[in-house]
Parts: sequence; structure tokens; C-alpha cells
Amino acid sequence: MNSAPSFDVHKRADSLVAAFARAGYTRVSPAILQPAEPFFDLSGEDMRRHMYLVTDTAGREFCLRPDLTIPVARDYLASATAPQRASFCYLGPVFRDSGITSGEFLQAGIESFGRPDTAAADAEALALGIEATAHYGLPAPRIVIGDVALFSALITALDLAPAWKRRLLKDFNRKATLAQDLERLTLAGRQNRSEYQGVLAALANANPKAAQALVTDLLSIAGKSAVGGRSIGEIADRFVEQAELGASSALPSETCALIGRFLAVAGTPCKAAAALRALAAEARVALGPALELFESRIGALAGRGVDVDRIEFATAFGRGVDYYTGFVFELHDPAALVDGQLVAGGRYDGLLTRLGSPQPVAAVGFAVWIERLAALAANIEKEQ
Amino acid sequence: MSVLVLAVPAKGRLQENAEAFFARAGLELVKPRGARDYRGGIKRLDSVEVAFLSAAEITEQLAAGAVHFGITGEDLVREMIPEANRKVVLLDGLGFGYANVVVAVPEAWIDVRDMADLDDVAISFRVRHDRRLRVATKYMHLTRGFFSRHGIIDYRIVESAGATEGAPAAGIAELIVDITTTGTTLAANGLRVIDDGVILRSQANLVAARGAAWGKTELETARLILDRIAAHARARLFREVRTQFAGCNDALLGLAKDMFGVLTPFGGPTSSGMLTLHCPPDAVHDLASFLREHGADTVIVAQIDYVFSRHNPLFAKLAAAV
Repeated sequence: MNSAPSFDVHKRADSLVAAFARAGYTRVSPAILQPAEPFFDLSGEDMRRHMYLVTDTAGREFCLRPDLTIPVARDYLASATAPQRASFCYLGPVFRDSGITSGEFLQAGIESFGRPDTAAADAEALALGIEATAHYGLPAPRIVIGDVALFSALITALDLAPAWKRRLLKDFNRKATLAQDLERLTLAGRQNRSEYQGVLAALANANPKAAQALVTDLLSIAGKSAVGGRSIGEIADRFVEQAELGASSALPSETCALIGRFLAVAGTPCKAAAALRALAAEARVALGPALELFESRIGALAGRGVDVDRIEFATAFGRGVDYYTGFVFELHDPAALVDGQLVAGGRYDGLLTRLGSPQPVAAVGFAVWIERLAALAANIEKEQ
Repeated sequence: MSVLVLAVPAKGRLQENAEAFFARAGLELVKPRGARDYRGGIKRLDSVEVAFLSAAEITEQLAAGAVHFGITGEDLVREMIPEANRKVVLLDGLGFGYANVVVAVPEAWIDVRDMADLDDVAISFRVRHDRRLRVATKYMHLTRGFFSRHGIIDYRIVESAGATEGAPAAGIAELIVDITTTGTTLAANGLRVIDDGVILRSQANLVAARGAAWGKTELETARLILDRIAAHARARLFREVRTQFAGCNDALLGLAKDMFGVLTPFGGPTSSGMLTLHCPPDAVHDLASFLREHGADTVIVAQIDYVFSRHNPLFAKLAAAV
């Protein structure tokens, strides 16, 4: 990947995107130079360290686009089409500083906005992803899928303090911290850790409104002004919430065990769905619409001609990007000669609101790693 | 002739401390063309060139291998050099330029005691305000690493060129990561360090560049310099205690080693009963009493300037790395 992609690599990728266009996706070419702000805000510091940043003479920060999902979504929102249903495909360079190889590489992909038929849209994305690997001579890639919404549904259904729910949901994409948090929840609650322990304990039994008012007053008397964008009321809210958290005892070990068993569910989607139903019934937690959507998606995938028994599903599978809200998937080289995902994507229903859309817009899409597929095709052709 | 380049801070307290440090080690920095000159040398050591630079420049030059040795803060090394251990070797902490890189939040955040609290606040802040918590800092790299180790993702860094501690009050950021020595400036700006929020305890270090041109001559020069520094460093840790008495034997010496942590640089007593001990400064008086209780008439204690020994741990560290 140290030189620009060759003419042949471009040509083959171009015919892949032409196939997306024939499937009803409008081809778009967002600007390469993008305002940096949306990426800072949506992709976080993990992405930022890999971004190529430039500042214009007015001091505004721009970046060479590190992916195409955010640029395509921004252009769509700025158009007259939004929030109507629309589907786009693209091919072009993206830029990420990896420190070793060249930071420029080619990505193709699709983004589909505003479709109400969630299961069908998810299935279409995965089916088109498989078409992309097939285009490079790999009709049966390794398919790994997950569903972030299932974990959210479980945590929402559990009897947990709101603060812990927030943390566990955020930690889902970072399994190391998730394990730590679970351990901490089970072992100790948060005993003996605050110098305000006594006050917290007293507040725990008070009326929350009165407690909030008291803490607000105390902070005002002490002359602590709100600096750094959090209001005194906000601080008092969380202080009282901590009191409630400290008062409730540690997470019951059966709840922790339930989360552990839930995260261990893996296998073909059909078997996993059955296992999740059984687990939910046994533990008397309602996974509700999330599990129903999961099952109807399996049907939609089969309807699309995807061999669902070849799919590897795991409840613990996430893509490490926190804007995904539901279905996520990755396609890999089954021989593992090419490192990393060949195609990867998922559902990100919250992203367009975060980009400023006045109403929620459903969204699903994926990106294709062109150089990896070209390397894979070269391997396959060498063998033949 | 191949010259070893030593980079020394050009300004302020760091320069004064660095010059004093070298002087104590018998390495007098000189500027033959006057105090405003940015090139100099070491008295009676022709094979050394001294470059007077800013601490940030020194760090860059070390990473690039453009200088052999440099004096700079560990904070700058860890912040400015990706995979620092592959580029440089921290030979020794020099005992000055102490500063901690810390996470500090407004004092009014009484609900935030530790990093786990901060994580929770970051998550709810994003939900409530529809934007990420902002962290003002010039330590972008250290901040990312530390926040990532604590699982915090709902934040963004606002790069700050100076006066970082004013950022929350100015409404530019919610909290800061900055360097502090006494905490006075933080307190004056209504900020408080989080309980487990110390990212790095830093001090000025003698740093060697792995990528510099280490020929035979440069290594030999490095050995000379490190020999004096190590000899002085060792001398600083001990006082020399001399005495003479007949009743001194190995059992007594063993007891003194256990009780006071003394070393015997020349082994046990000589045939005439002369004994030389190196004793940690704190234990000198107890040792003097102990020796007299066991038969010594006179005990002489003196400060030492240098302890030169065949084994040089600093040079061994350098030789292993380049």
C-alpha cells in the first residue's frame, strides 16, 4: 500500500460501484477536504489521532476525510432529499495516518437513509457486502455479525442504577473495561470510596428533590460557581444519584452471571436466537423488539439468498465504533491470508441526529477495503 | 574528530539546574564566545560540543538522533516521541524539574472523585448537552493514552498553547490535563486534581538518543561523561566514615550492614584495623554511636565528592541500547 492504487485496481473497483448503482444506489463523490469538527465529535479521539489535519488562514480546522460515512451523511442532510428515503454509493480515497504504511487508501461503500423496513435494509446491506467480495472472486467470505441493540435491550431491562446502565452500555465496545466494571459492580458496589460517604448515606434516604435543593444551596453558599459547562444543578443531580448508588447494595451475583451468560451466546443466528429466548424466559427479562428484529433479520437474510447457517453470530461482537446502534457485520478472508476486515458496516440510527438532523433518520451502510480485496484477488488468481 | 553533542536547556531554572548538575559532576559547561552564544563546550573535554536549546527542541533532536545526549523532562519525552523507548533511553532522573502531569476538574464538581466518576460524567454530559466534554491540554498524546486506559471515550481534546488552567473559566473546556508542581496555580483557578488522575510523575532526565551516530570516539566520550556523573551520583548518596579499632570483625560488619545499610568499598578492616565505610547520610549518627559502643575511639565522617568504580551502571545502560 505504499504507492497509489494502479489503474487496474481502480477499474475493478469502479465496476463494483457500478453494480451498487444498478442496485438503486446513487453514486456520490463527497469533498476530500472535510471540516474536522464532525469527526472530532462523532468518531472521538481514537480516530483523531489517525487524522491528517490542516488549518486554514482563518484558523478553521479541516481534515482529509478518514472515512466516507460522515461526509455522505452530511451531504445528504444538506440536500433537499433529507429526511426522505435515499441510498448512495461511493468510491474514493480515505486518509488515515497509520505511522507505517501510506495513509491513503481506497474505499467503496454504500449508505442507505430513511428506510422504515429495518430488517430488510440490514439484510440488503449484508447481501451487497457479499456481492463485493464475490466481485473479487470470494463468493463465500467468513461472515461475522453482532447486534448492539440486544445488549442495550438486556441492560435496559435489568434492575440497575441509571449510572451503571450508562457505563455498561458505553463499555460494550471496550470489552476490557466492561469486564472491570462488572467485577466492580459485583464485588463492592462503591463502598468507602468517597470522603462524603456519610453525607451520601444520609442523602440516600432523603426525598431526591429536597436533597438536590440542599446540595445546590450548599454549593452556592460555598461560593462555588459553575465553571466548565456543567451547571450547579447538574452537579447536584449526579451527587444525589451517587448517594442512591452507594445506598443500593452491590450487583446481585445472579445478575452479573446473567450478563456473563448473555455475552457468551454465540453460534449460528438461529441457534443464538433460540438460546437468547430461553435465557430471557429463564431470567424473566424482556428483550422485546430487539430480539424480534434479530429474528426477522434472519428471515430477511435467508430471503436474500444468504446461507444463514454459515454466519457466525456473537452477542459480544461489536465494531469498536460507538455510533453503531444495531446490526453490525464484518466480512473476512476465510484463509486469513489478508489481514483485517474486507467489508464492514452496520446500522447507525443515531448518527444523523447528531449531525444536526431535526428528526431521527434510520441509516445503515458499509465500507469496502479495496486494496485488501485486490490483494485477496491476486492471491486467488495465483492459486488458479 | 567525531564530536559528542550534548543538548542543554537554554533558559530559565532548567538551565541553571542543569549547569549546576554538570558542575557538581566535574563537567563545567563553558561558552567561549559569550553568554549569548548557543554553542559551547565542556572545560578540558574537547570531544564534546554543547548545544543550548529549548526543552522541546532538545526532545525533537533526541528523537531524530541529531544530538547524542540531552537534558529534558520525561513529560516531553513521553508526549512528543511516539514509542519513545525505541528512540531514546532515559539514563537517569536528575533530581530537579519535578512536575506531575495531572487531570484537574473544577472544584465545584464535588461528585467527581476519581476517573470512574469522570467517565460517568463524560457519558451523561454528552447525553445532556449533545456534545462531548472538552479537555484543554498541550499533552494530547498522554491524555489520549490515559483516558483510553480508563475507558473514557466521550470527550474531545482542545489543544491549548499556554495558560491551560484558565480554559475552564474561559469556557473553552470543561477540564484540563496540565503540568503542576505545587498545585497552587490549579487552586488559584478553582481546579482540583482527581484522586487517581496523576498521569505521569516527571523530572528532568539525562536522555540518550538511540539513533545518534555512536562511533567509537563518541562512545568513549560518553563513557567519560557518564563516569563522572555516576561517580558523583553515588557520592551524593553516602558519607564516608573512617575509624580504627581492634575489635572489628566480619560479624560486626555484617550487623552494621543490616542496621545502617553501609557499604565497605575496600572490604573489611586492614591489618592495622583501619576501616572505611560508606553510610547513608541519615544513618551517620547512629552508626558513629554504634562503632564507639563496640570499641572505636575515634570516628571521622566526611562528605565525598566522587566514588569512581569499575562498573558504571549508566554507561552499561547506554551500551546496551546503542
